[in-house]
Amino acid sequence: MQGGKRFIFSLVFISFIFALFFFSGCFEQVPATENGGADTDEAPKDELILAVGYEPDEGWDPVAGWGRYGSPLFQSTLLKRDSNLRIENDLATSYEVSEDALTWTVTIRDDAVFSDGEKLTAGDVVFTFQKTKESGSVVDLNLLTEVKALDDYTIEFTLERPHSAFSAILVSTGIVPEHAYDSNYAENPVGSGPFKLLQWDKGQQLIVEANPLYYGEQPFFKRITFLFLEEDAAFAAARAGEVQIAAIPHAFGDQQVSGMSLVNLESIDNRGIMFPFVKASGETEDGKPIGNDVTADLAIRQAINIAVDRQALVSGALNGFGTPAYTVCDHMPWWNPETVLNDADFESAAAILAEAGWEDTDGDGILEKNGLKASFSLIYPASDMTRQALALGVAEMIRPLGIDIKAEGKSWDDIQELMHSNAVLFGWGSYDPIEMFNLYHSSMAGFSWYNTGFYSNAAVDEYMELALSATSEEEANSYWKKAQWDGETGFSGKADAPWAWLVNLGHLYLVDENLDIGKQKVQPHGHGWPFTDNIAEWKWR
Amino acid sequence: MSKSGISYLAAGSKEVRLFKGMNLRTKTLISIGLTVVLLMLIIAGNFTLSADNISTNFEIKNQPPSAVNLFGTDWLGRDMFTRTVKGLNISLAVGMIASFVSAVIALVLGISAATLGKRVDGLVTWLIDLFLGVPHLVIIILIAFAMGGGIRGVIVGVAVTHWPSLARVIRAEVMQLRSADYIQVAQKLGKSRWWIATKHLLPHLAPQFFIGLILLFPHAILHEAGISFLGFGLSPETPAIGIILSESMRYLSTGMWWLAFFPGLALLVMVRSFDILGSNLLLLFDPHRARE
Repeated sequence: MQGGKRFIFSLVFISFIFALFFFSGCFEQVPATENGGADTDEAPKDELILAVGYEPDEGWDPVAGWGRYGSPLFQSTLLKRDSNLRIENDLATSYEVSEDALTWTVTIRDDAVFSDGEKLTAGDVVFTFQKTKESGSVVDLNLLTEVKALDDYTIEFTLERPHSAFSAILVSTGIVPEHAYDSNYAENPVGSGPFKLLQWDKGQQLIVEANPLYYGEQPFFKRITFLFLEEDAAFAAARAGEVQIAAIPHAFGDQQVSGMSLVNLESIDNRGIMFPFVKASGETEDGKPIGNDVTADLAIRQAINIAVDRQALVSGALNGFGTPAYTVCDHMPWWNPETVLNDADFESAAAILAEAGWEDTDGDGILEKNGLKASFSLIYPASDMTRQALALGVAEMIRPLGIDIKAEGKSWDDIQELMHSNAVLFGWGSYDPIEMFNLYHSSMAGFSWYNTGFYSNAAVDEYMELALSATSEEEANSYWKKAQWDGETGFSGKADAPWAWLVNLGHLYLVDENLDIGKQKVQPHGHGWPFTDNIAEWKWR
Repeated sequence: MSKSGISYLAAGSKEVRLFKGMNLRTKTLISIGLTVVLLMLIIAGNFTLSADNISTNFEIKNQPPSAVNLFGTDWLGRDMFTRTVKGLNISLAVGMIASFVSAVIALVLGISAATLGKRVDGLVTWLIDLFLGVPHLVIIILIAFAMGGGIRGVIVGVAVTHWPSLARVIRAEVMQLRSADYIQVAQKLGKSRWWIATKHLLPHLAPQFFIGLILLFPHAILHEAGISFLGFGLSPETPAIGIILSESMRYLSTGMWWLAFFPGLALLVMVRSFDILGSNLLLLFDPHRARE
């Protein structure tokens, strides 16, 4: 019977698709057993298998952006942050900033060598920064006018304008060797960091071993394997005892795995809603529409900021693993605590809307103002379950207020087209205050993924410029705080509210009970790699 | 139980046991009736179940099946039963439009191949071979991707890939009909090609066409689910079966079996119903197979 055959074919077809998925999951795990021993008991004492990070698209090249979250593993940086986020020396032995804040002079240690035995000199540092500036990658070095070597171990950076946050760039840029840098560098990194690359199977795993020539203290673990697994596969691997650390999604947070303990790290890895700040008005140079009439209304943005119940989002969408977020930089030294809102307050939100003239005239439960319906799309990346939960959760929360938010999942490519004219659920969170400048300064409007909503406020601009030209960190931080809220205006939810920040994610890891992962910092954006920041300090208990 | 009944049982067919004592035609009609009722129920469910059931409600998330939530709830507290029924309806709609378009393409190409001369025949046969030679899923992914995802991409993708086998059947059927006496006579009487096609060919083709159409359904539905499962289809907040299944994969390791089990089963049941419907209708309509 023809129908029967078709049915069997359909069955085979379904099982084939499913089998494809199951087995692709399995294959990824195969190398783990080949290369590291499947069981903790059998694994040699100084080896570690982790499933924590995603594979960076740019490879292992700091020039292209590798290492800006977490440890660059293979390279080392001029400065680094201690567990309290204070800046300390790494390759550098000292650094000075000139009176006018335009010249930074850095002296580096003379005993650093690359893993191929060549000495690391000022020339390599100059080469790294010139190359990074030319590359036009995610690392923005436009403000660097000149970098030159004064002698073999002294480098002078000249800036176009004062930039108090320049040290953050020195923290995040791994130094590459001039003599060994070519187009294949991203696949064969050579550096002066604690580890060197042993093997990289794209899409599967990265194996590193301790670099015996490293100038710092030798890491306890001589060989570390990073498996690139999907979150559920990482969880399964942890359960099977195949990995010593696994990054897991919030939904798995209440699962018990024997021999492993759950580590919930606080982060500033935040998620929030970016609102287009201007009314629909033309297009960008490459033809993307700008502006949204509904979100351009201050009352709408403020009402959402006040009405949204952040704690409920944390317990609902994040399973309780996270904290409410009020700005892009909660609890950082440059954060203004006055920006914390008394949220989940529907009455005030409704009052704000009513005062601004929003009213439900046709009785459909959605407010109108001059014929404009309070309705807009909230775009989230379709592949991200957490952002989906947040987007749908917020839409549901806000609906009783009379604002109709339509959550829509899109690909990152589509989001790039839509992000100037639609609200988008983005995530940021960095150790570098320059992020505030990037997100809120009017000169960054429409540039890359930064100020996509075309926010602008002259007072905020001025505060942030003052912060950048400040010569001391305290002075800079006081201006950063004023940019958020100075009592009258600012970019936080209290005033202009170009964003509604929602939550800071808790970063969840299952960690072998016997493993000591040291003191972890508050984690920035980018699940996985930030966790490895102090990897050289890890040891067995 | 009569002796003949026992021998029927010995023959081993479950269907026989179920429909004991009825004649073939009644059995076929009952099968058709049952599947139609089932499909009607799915469609009715779409209109009776409130969309509020699938709005996010964190208070009741991750609940196993119960009397209130027959299929349990997912990680956003959405009722899986409602999601499944709505998902099946999306699949139905996609399947319906896509297979109809597909069947029309098949009809047009099949008839033109058989009637418009050697060159057209060669071209159409080549097209059929071409489309049969490439895996459907690959073409659908390409088309859905090129059209930027969404329901339109899925429908177009499914529609333009599912016509070849039906087109081949129709072409063969028309070839056979053309040599029939009454068509030769009609030609000799000077009737136009158009007249012959509409008055003589189409009525004969109707059963093949409709059954082909119905049998395209399960295919189209599975491909819709497949493409959504792979993430090239609908937006993830839409209640589509493929999306439900791919989401559930992530939660299987935490023991939330109901997320995959019921929607998967429901999809299987619906696809199988169409299959039974199609083959039984074939038995009814096709005089050559009336005794099967």
